[in-house]
Amino acid sequence: MSPLFSGLLVLLALLALLGIGTPIAFALGFVSIVALLIVDGAGSLSILGETFFGGLASFGLVSIPMFILMGSAVASSPAGKDLYEALDRWLNRVPGGLVLSNIGACSIFAALSGSSPATCAAIGKMGIPEMTKRGYPNEIASGSIAAGGTLGILIPPSITMIVYGIATETSIGRLFLAGLLPGAMLTALFMAWTIYDCRRRGIGLSALTERFTMKERFSALPRVLPFLAIIVGILYVLYGGVATPSEAAGVGALFCIVLVVVIYRMWSVSKVTNMFRDTLKESVMIMMIIGASELFSYTLSSLFVTQSIAEWIAALDVNRWVLMAIINFFLLFAGFFLPPVAVILMTAPILLPIILQAGFDPYWFAVVLTINMEIGLITPPVGLNLYVINGIAPDITLGEILRGSIPYVMCMVVGIVLLCFIPGIATWLPELMMGR
Amino acid sequence: HAETVLKASHQWPGGKGDVRDEMVQILAREVAKSDVDLRIQVYPGKSLFKPREQWGAMVKGVLDISAFPLDYASGRHPEFSATLMPGLVRNHDRALRLNTSPFMQDIKKVINDAGVVVLADAWLAGAFASKKQCITGPESMKGQVTRAAGPAFEQMLVGAGASIASMPSSEIYTGLQTGVLDAANTSSGSFVSYRIYEQATCLTKPGANALWFMYEPLLISKRSWDKLNKEQQDALMAAAKVAEDYFVGEAKGLDDKLVEAYSDAGVEVVEMSGDDYQAWLDIAKETSYKAFAEKVEGGQELIDKALAVQ
Amino acid sequence: MTLYIRWVSALSRLAAVAALLLLASAILVVTQMVVIRYFLNASTVWQTEFVIYALVAMTFLASPFVLMEKGHVNVDLIYMHLHGPFLKIVQSLAGLFGLVFCALLAWSGWTYFEEAWSYGWTTDTVWALPLWIPLLPLPLGIGLMTLQYVAELAKIWRGEPA
Ligand code: NA
Ligand code: NA
Repeated sequence: MSPLFSGLLVLLALLALLGIGTPIAFALGFVSIVALLIVDGAGSLSILGETFFGGLASFGLVSIPMFILMGSAVASSPAGKDLYEALDRWLNRVPGGLVLSNIGACSIFAALSGSSPATCAAIGKMGIPEMTKRGYPNEIASGSIAAGGTLGILIPPSITMIVYGIATETSIGRLFLAGLLPGAMLTALFMAWTIYDCRRRGIGLSALTERFTMKERFSALPRVLPFLAIIVGILYVLYGGVATPSEAAGVGALFCIVLVVVIYRMWSVSKVTNMFRDTLKESVMIMMIIGASELFSYTLSSLFVTQSIAEWIAALDVNRWVLMAIINFFLLFAGFFLPPVAVILMTAPILLPIILQAGFDPYWFAVVLTINMEIGLITPPVGLNLYVINGIAPDITLGEILRGSIPYVMCMVVGIVLLCFIPGIATWLPELMMGR
Repeated sequence: HAETVLKASHQWPGGKGDVRDEMVQILAREVAKSDVDLRIQVYPGKSLFKPREQWGAMVKGVLDISAFPLDYASGRHPEFSATLMPGLVRNHDRALRLNTSPFMQDIKKVINDAGVVVLADAWLAGAFASKKQCITGPESMKGQVTRAAGPAFEQMLVGAGASIASMPSSEIYTGLQTGVLDAANTSSGSFVSYRIYEQATCLTKPGANALWFMYEPLLISKRSWDKLNKEQQDALMAAAKVAEDYFVGEAKGLDDKLVEAYSDAGVEVVEMSGDDYQAWLDIAKETSYKAFAEKVEGGQELIDKALAVQ
Repeated sequence: MTLYIRWVSALSRLAAVAALLLLASAILVVTQMVVIRYFLNASTVWQTEFVIYALVAMTFLASPFVLMEKGHVNVDLIYMHLHGPFLKIVQSLAGLFGLVFCALLAWSGWTYFEEAWSYGWTTDTVWALPLWIPLLPLPLGIGLMTLQYVAELAKIWRGEPA
């Protein structure tokens, strides 16, 4: 049986298991085990535990729960509301002002949280009800949050970038810098679309009449200061020679917990437990998927599928931009079915050598890959942000969320195209701060 | 009759001219040439197993052939720590003499008893680099935040007053750049491939008094070995000899490339004097050797055997 | 069965509390490590490893609780289109695959733990922690998750929200 054919069988089996609703981690694990048992015999069972354990026991991965906790700590407080309300005082005179405030809040919050679902939850929890209350249609209220939330993995810190850094042995600190300007660019694109769309459809204009004095505008700012303090603090710890990214994550998590407890007086046991419980749920889910993805990658490599796909792509011998287009479609497809960490662990070993061969920058590619993963977060069947929105606002249908997020997905596609024409958007800042 | 296929796994980039990858590739090519119905499928760059899982997989017979620092298995066989112990090797010529010494016979007995066979010996030298102060004698290490390669080196460096920060070698560059690290210790190859010359201001090259050496043999699982017929075993051993000879020829070249890369980048290059080396050995005796002798039965004898080699 | 579900769920909650404490301790230890190195310029020996293994243990120990809370993400599109016994059968089938995987992982983790215990393996670092300690949460947590999975399957047929 040729490797590509056995790869196809594995893929079909995986899709079948995913289709009937087996949790992603266990579907990946089950398919791997069965394939290994068939091809390599019973001996492969004996290394299952070691592979799974070894896949998780890495100091790089330590930062994942920590960066999630940073987000959850802040998300459990009313801070998200403060953030967009403060922004709203400045933006309410622009068409779609409240939506802009929410997107801006997502973008700032993304600098505190390594995870997209957490960003989505933190801002959406208060933001979606407020938007619908002020007359924005469900599509815009949910679509903007679903899309804005995805900034969580582009704007540093980012779980996706951490896993990419580990899988490709690139510097996590440098990856973080590479994501900063593209994150700002996507934020700007999202906002530009929102202004255009709201003006065109004449929605959310009622708020235009409400005027805030400059005094009111400035008086709201102190509430945003703690966020900025944490962001600046983390940047200092990361780039000021204090600690490695994993260590910075731990220190940042402690900062955030203390801040939330002190400023928002969240010291009751149940409130603290809640923020930890949310963190536990998301990190354990992601870590189990990482362990299972390691097993799945091992299986594909052992069956020589990975190597055959890489050879096949290399043999295509096409123009490097055609190659990049093919890779983007491939990533988008994978992103439909799998969460970002799984896609990266499975595809990075195949794609990175090809990318480097074709003369692309690995840090630039990390950004392109991450934006592809952001799209995957708001597309079915597996879209982590969709689940979050569904949890926050059960009344909004999946169709409404999807209709609302399509324009933002288009913005992301535009972002990828811009990155292809102007690679400096991703590479300029890391080169400025860390040399070539 | 069907061809026997052996899986060979290692952690270095494949097909990029890495000497350690090339050693495994040569083994595969030579075996293929000998026409004994044996084929070696190489999985480079951690594409199959994680570096530290390779030993366990070989013992269980799930992986056939591998090459990695033997120290990775020192959690299971503490004797292996002696193969990444400061000051036991000193230079490449002495490494060759060590291979046939009673010291390595003891080590290979532990390897064999665990169910693994050595196909070829390989020793790699390493270096130190700093952006704060050239590392020569132990006093130069004091107060430098350092990333060390191997637990025995950590113990010795702490003994000299360094403070240790742990991270994978891929993070050394950023560590030095952001200032988390003042200094680092790793293999000559990694010092070049991770372009640490862009951050360091001083390199301590291996030279005649190299403190850091690491044993990185080519290994085969005993279970896989026993399944081969005599003809195949002979062909494999002959191929391994070619691979080993290649490696010996290249090992010094790695150090030369290191010095060249750092000089070209304008980094100061120094080397340890005989006195510096002796001062480090004195610290090692009080730290890493001592800890080794306490932990491993017959550990002191093992170190004495290694030091006794001329 | 009610008693079984109640007991297993209680155990899963207990393991999750342990996981939560491990997470909290990891954060404190990371911070302590940074302070020791950056401000006191001293060495750290055990901290890095402790943090790694605490968070691996967190993952395994909290996994049964996350399963109970339906936190292991899955594709549920098909469930919206199925009803009655058909829905239950498909859900059980999906659960069965998960159950088998968990059982195999728990068993394999147990043999790994058992080897580390009987041969006295340690981690390959200065700390040289006995390897069975960080390995124990694997068979323990995933074993408990297997039991929790049985409870989840039972819940499907008892008509509880699945
Ligand atoms: Na982020
Ligand atoms: Na998706």
